[in-house]
Amino acid sequence: MPIHDQGYRRYGGQRAGAGRAWAVIARAGVRTLFARRAFIGLLLLSWIPFLVRAVQIYAAANLPQAQFLAPDARMFRSFLEQQEIFLFFITVYAGTGLIANDRRANALQIYLSRPLTRLEYIFGKFAILLALLLLVTWLPAMLLLVIQVMFAGSFAFFLGNLFLVPAITIFSLIQVSAVGLAMLALSSLSKSSRYVGVLYAGLIFFSQAVYGIVRGLTRDSTMAWLSVPLDLQQIGDVVFRLEPRFHMPVWSAFVVIALLIVSSAIVLERRVRGIEVVA
Amino acid sequence: MSTPATARRPSYVGSVLRIFDLSLGEMLWSRRSVFLALLVGGPVVLAVISRVVWALTPVDALRVNGASVSGPGIFGLMIWLLYVRFIVPILGVFYGTGLIADEVENRTLTYLFTRPIPRGAVLVGKYLAYLACTVLLILPSVVLVFFLMVPLNGGSIGAQFPSLVGDLGMLAAGLAAYGAVFGWVGARVRRPLVAGLVFVLGWEPAVLLFPGYLKHLTVAYYLQALVPHAMPEDSAISALLQAFSDVPGVAPSLLALAILTGAALWVAARTVESREYVLEQ
Repeated sequence: MPIHDQGYRRYGGQRAGAGRAWAVIARAGVRTLFARRAFIGLLLLSWIPFLVRAVQIYAAANLPQAQFLAPDARMFRSFLEQQEIFLFFITVYAGTGLIANDRRANALQIYLSRPLTRLEYIFGKFAILLALLLLVTWLPAMLLLVIQVMFAGSFAFFLGNLFLVPAITIFSLIQVSAVGLAMLALSSLSKSSRYVGVLYAGLIFFSQAVYGIVRGLTRDSTMAWLSVPLDLQQIGDVVFRLEPRFHMPVWSAFVVIALLIVSSAIVLERRVRGIEVVA
Repeated sequence: MSTPATARRPSYVGSVLRIFDLSLGEMLWSRRSVFLALLVGGPVVLAVISRVVWALTPVDALRVNGASVSGPGIFGLMIWLLYVRFIVPILGVFYGTGLIADEVENRTLTYLFTRPIPRGAVLVGKYLAYLACTVLLILPSVVLVFFLMVPLNGGSIGAQFPSLVGDLGMLAAGLAAYGAVFGWVGARVRRPLVAGLVFVLGWEPAVLLFPGYLKHLTVAYYLQALVPHAMPEDSAISALLQAFSDVPGVAPSLLALAILTGAALWVAARTVESREYVLEQ
């Protein structure tokens, strides 16, 4: 009977190049989520507004009576606004456990004992959210532009509104980066994904409720910067060259979102460590 | 001769009280209490800030289009926007879904199920502990906000006191109903948080806007009928809600909430009795 050597053996496979290890985490994370039927259902649900808008574009392009439905920059802006609720649910579904579950299983030390830097780990996790959230914001919005060209049989709208391509891209990236990093930071703060989900709901809806009270008291929207979703809405209006809906200065919305991103990065830097040194 | 084990088996009520006692201590002295403190402390902080602003600029601080805003009006606004629409449903989701899901997640459910007590009593005991914990923390927060806000701009605490009692009862009823519903969701669904958030932040606000019977399938419909303050017009959705207002009376709402709570709790207990929980390794 042969006796096999069970001692240490060097890794015989092909090594990923330096700085590319994040892709392994991202790919595994996306694959895990796509294996869940409930998540697929949520994704399908989030594409229903796209179908409705596609019908709207078709009707506007082919029916003279439906000219009032003709697409414009406001339509693309309101489409992305409609996607916000799906953005919230997908962020909660996919994001709450991204780091919390690793901390719970003490897997962070295992990850970081591999040829993988902390930055690559965080970026890999962030890439999961980035990919999934762009799938329900940037991708359908860009497809609507393509569909408009197809149904109208003309590039006139596209060329006349060429700014929509960078507008959709920039706004989607700002929105997804802000919510994605905030969720990752919250996920690194706890070992319970349920706790993280409720904290995130608090960040989004409690800030909105507080602004609601201030608005009720003053009948003025200067303090809308208190609410993260409203800051994003204000930025969205500016990016899409529309009249901002709140009286707050646009720079204050940018400052709040920048602060959110920076503070999330600081939290991640402090919380994602292989060994916790107790002073 | 030793007594058979079945003779010492505690009654259902006794089991519920044992679990209640055990869970209340866990809930009050846990990390999640920090979240609860932040949540119920937020309105108090906001009330203190409003009070300070009013003390510094008493003439202009609370005026809308030249008309002064009354303290009771601001208190009503806070009850609607913070407690009814946010804190009560979110606490219901957080604690309700965790009644069983937490034990499954921590792999400690086995320890409870191997005790000589009915499985359903575990859920009911934990539910009562949730109710006691949240009511004990939320009601003082509301009372503090009441005393801070109502006297502003000449509001009378004495005249408004009956509405405070109504608010406290309404919030307790809301916590009871949401907790029971999400207790069942937590016992039945594998990922209860997302289901709970979809119900509270997606389903309820959406169907309340629809005319017809669909809104009867929410807790908010009955709870909002118990609020003794006028609904604020803080957004287009609120204006729509007022336009489609089909508010049931207080007695039917209380009855509906009681039936909903009882039924949800009974179904949840039945689910726990019959379901086999597989703990992840």
